[in-house]
Amino acid sequence: MEVQEGDQYVRRRYTNLDPVTLFTWAALVLIGLLAIFSATHGPSSEFYQFNPRQNFSNQIMWVGISLVGLVIALVLPVRFFQQMAFPIYGLTILLLLAALVFGREVNGAKSWLYFGPIGLQVSEMAKVGTVLAVAQVVGMRRPKTMDLRFAFLLLGIIMLPAILIVLQNDTGTALVFFGLVPIVLFWSGLDFNLLLLMIAPAVAGYFAIVSMPVAIGFVLLFLGFMWWRTRDVRISVVSLVMTGGVVAMANVALTMILSDYQVQRIMSFTDPGAAEFRQNVGFHQVNSMAAIGSGGWFGKGFLQGTQTQGGYVFEQSTDFIFSVIGEEWGFFGSLLVLGLFAILLIRLLQLGANMKHPFGVLIAAGAAGIYLIHIFINIGMATSLLPVIGIPLPFISYGGSALLANSALLAIVLSLHLKKDDFSIYGY
Amino acid sequence: MDEGRSRLRIFIALVAIIMGILTLRVGKLQIVERSDHTGQSVNNAVREWRVQPPRGRFYDRNGVLMVDNEPRFTLFVTPRYFDKETIPLISRLLERPDSVIAERFQAAAKNPFQRAPIQADVSFEELSRVLEHRHILPGVDYEITQKRQYLTDARMTHAMGYVREISESALQEHREEGYVWGDPFGQGGLERQYESAVRGVPGSDFKMINIKGQVVAEYLDGQEDRPAKNGLDLNLTIDADLQAFAESLFVGKRGGVVALDPRNGEILALHSAPDYDLDLFTKRLDPQKWDSITTHLDKPMFNRVTQSKFMPGSTFKPLIALLALGMGEIDYNDEVYCPGYHPLGGGRIYKCLDEHGAINVVEAIKYSCNTFFFEMMRRIDVNSLHRLATTLGFGERPYLDIAAGEVERGNVPDSAWYNEQFPGIGGWTQGYIMNLGVGQGEMEVTTLQLARYMGAIANGGTLVTPHFVRSMVDPETGEHVVPDYPEPVTLDLNETYLRLLREGMRQVIEETSWWLEIPDIPSIGKTGSAQNSRGEEDDSVFIMAAPADDPEIAIAVFVENAGYGSGAAGRTASFMAERFLTGRVDLSGDRAWIWQQMFEMNSAPLYETLGSPGG
Repeated sequence: MEVQEGDQYVRRRYTNLDPVTLFTWAALVLIGLLAIFSATHGPSSEFYQFNPRQNFSNQIMWVGISLVGLVIALVLPVRFFQQMAFPIYGLTILLLLAALVFGREVNGAKSWLYFGPIGLQVSEMAKVGTVLAVAQVVGMRRPKTMDLRFAFLLLGIIMLPAILIVLQNDTGTALVFFGLVPIVLFWSGLDFNLLLLMIAPAVAGYFAIVSMPVAIGFVLLFLGFMWWRTRDVRISVVSLVMTGGVVAMANVALTMILSDYQVQRIMSFTDPGAAEFRQNVGFHQVNSMAAIGSGGWFGKGFLQGTQTQGGYVFEQSTDFIFSVIGEEWGFFGSLLVLGLFAILLIRLLQLGANMKHPFGVLIAAGAAGIYLIHIFINIGMATSLLPVIGIPLPFISYGGSALLANSALLAIVLSLHLKKDDFSIYGY
Repeated sequence: MDEGRSRLRIFIALVAIIMGILTLRVGKLQIVERSDHTGQSVNNAVREWRVQPPRGRFYDRNGVLMVDNEPRFTLFVTPRYFDKETIPLISRLLERPDSVIAERFQAAAKNPFQRAPIQADVSFEELSRVLEHRHILPGVDYEITQKRQYLTDARMTHAMGYVREISESALQEHREEGYVWGDPFGQGGLERQYESAVRGVPGSDFKMINIKGQVVAEYLDGQEDRPAKNGLDLNLTIDADLQAFAESLFVGKRGGVVALDPRNGEILALHSAPDYDLDLFTKRLDPQKWDSITTHLDKPMFNRVTQSKFMPGSTFKPLIALLALGMGEIDYNDEVYCPGYHPLGGGRIYKCLDEHGAINVVEAIKYSCNTFFFEMMRRIDVNSLHRLATTLGFGERPYLDIAAGEVERGNVPDSAWYNEQFPGIGGWTQGYIMNLGVGQGEMEVTTLQLARYMGAIANGGTLVTPHFVRSMVDPETGEHVVPDYPEPVTLDLNETYLRLLREGMRQVIEETSWWLEIPDIPSIGKTGSAQNSRGEEDDSVFIMAAPADDPEIAIAVFVENAGYGSGAAGRTASFMAERFLTGRVDLSGDRAWIWQQMFEMNSAPLYETLGSPGG
């Protein structure tokens, strides 16, 4: 009977809507709102030169917009996302170009387009478009035909917006796209050894900045690992050349090519409290670490953080929001946030895997990858594990465009998973 | 799908590794290095405000509040948040010229985020007016300070001392007692001597400040704050009325007076002239005024009661009489013949004021006969005099509870001293010693020593310990503490001889210097005129005690370069005793012009002031 069938239909759909993802999303957004409130409505807020109280109300508005977007995404059919992937990608590229021409400069980056009073950071939107486009390309492809031409196509799709964003002078956001490359290639079936060869130089470069002996140790360890793994002389030599080359280049760049100012910017995170750094970039990280470190096990309490309430941490409602959580909520607050992120990411990957269709898998992996890069860079920066790179903490930092873009990715994954049975095996 | 499964596992492992790295990093900061970062954050954001307690108040012997504290306020601005357009409003509210405030703001504006004092010494009323307009005065705040407030006419300049910010040297010395920069610290007098009692215990307010140095909130809701503890109040022995009266008598005079209770050593009044206004030190010190005080030839900083050393003159004669009687050199009815001079030296050196003829010891005191006392010291060795004088407190630094170093010991020579000063055969002669008999020569006393000595004669031989403080009272608990003074010294003096002395000194007032008699109250006293090289005229010295039979007040007065002891000094002592004993001054009859004369008997100018070399 029709009614019964309808009931079953509805029930089945309902069970496919993943509660874990929704819950963690809501929890992270709520934590973000509380942290933004603390950073902007504490006893000190009346002393701010530009009152950031509106950050909180703005964020509430953006949470509302994101919720509406989430519901719309859940209603839209699977085919819509597949069909609209390239148009959306194209639109974001156009927006990026428009921002380059008409954009407004905020904090040195010309990545904002204003529609009346509402500013949109188009580089955030580009993440959604890029992930959709990459997923669509991978989804249309016959499985297990990974060739170089295909890999370059994917690389091109990702690098085009990345380059435009670099031109906008927002290197931090562009870095997310670079990070997306190995993740996408990994899920598209790139050989694991090649993937390691892509990632290892970045790790080697990081160690070259932190400690040269560790970097050299890593190069040798990686060489040994690749030899043990492949017993292939060519691959081993390439691994040595690539990692060792990056280490050598980093060394040359730091000592000879880069100006003192640039070297300071890069090096300061290794010891931000040092006399030569703490007056400059290091200052933000010293204060961020003081905030997080002084939180201890349980934190100083909501609205009680002396660093937060004294406005010592730069950009504390946006890029350095983690210092607010660390200081006022302590190690348990930090663990809560990190734990929620871990649950969300793993859950997204599982949802992707459940969909069994390359488009869904790639969207989920792309979303998880983008979140992971943001989380690592953002918290790494706040704890001085990494240099200061201005990108937000997903769902938590103040910033409407980022919240909307991140929520959109999540909503698409949820929507695809809800209707995973609607995927055409033909890939359109 | 095995391929997919393994890739999923690898990716999940990557997520786990990155989360693990971040967890370890955060854990390192929040647990391992917690105390380092806590220190850093406290250094940043928590500032301690020192809360100065009110200093102990000073009450006089009758409970009159003499010295209190007045809260004063210092207005601060933070230039970055301050609106320059409000300067006229502020200056109008404070009733101060806006050019001054604008100037200070300009100076402060160099450091826009640095709070800077823009107006110190603001009264509560003025502050209230400013605070009423707080909503239109951004960037304005204030701090409280305590300022001394002197409530009576009695200035008591030298004994009181004053309060200033602690000096660098004092800070070095007293750091362990918890002093920090900017703390108030007693300078001189009682303020210094009782510093540790009246200071109280400074408290601390911990406040959260933001990156711009503005106070944002109480730190931990004030749980860490330590309240300040008020200083102990001092109940002084001073009679504020008598003190003010004494000060009023010294207009145009240089010198000092101390009045004490001969029964217990309580100081009733102590004044050194000239003095200066202690209110000078409650505000920003005007350098010109300070210079005028420190460089003035009359030396107003000098406490003439405890620091001026002078020859006692004839006020020493009762002591010589006591010495001679005690040594059996003379009996109370033995007589010495005075032809108007002492025969030694052919009458040209040891002169008397008059031809007193045959004269006994009581008459010798009464007439202040030089011949008699020259003769006594011709018979007595200098070391015996030294012993008795020392017993009576001369040549030694008397205990007094004002700042150490402000009390001089004077000098009463013995033979060893003479041998040292005048070495060789014929270096010093008996003539030197005879001169001591009339209080001249190589001898120096202070007014304070004379008052103690007068007290000992009056009270039958007890050398009291002069002091200013009866008790110290905790204003919160009411608990009394009596300061620890040296015990008074009961001297082994013959009461019969003392009675002879007092009889002679009674006759001084009743007959020789009848104008010094207090109406209806018998008293005892002795004049003295001391040679000096400071200026024209002898120093006028007088010691007195009243009432004669049971003295309640002993006074020593020293007026520089004002002539005979029965003049300026005697009159001052007489009127002060009357004021203390009767609470008034009776100007009927002869006392009116005696009173009048007193104000004309002023100190002759110092030679230095006149520009000629002092002798």
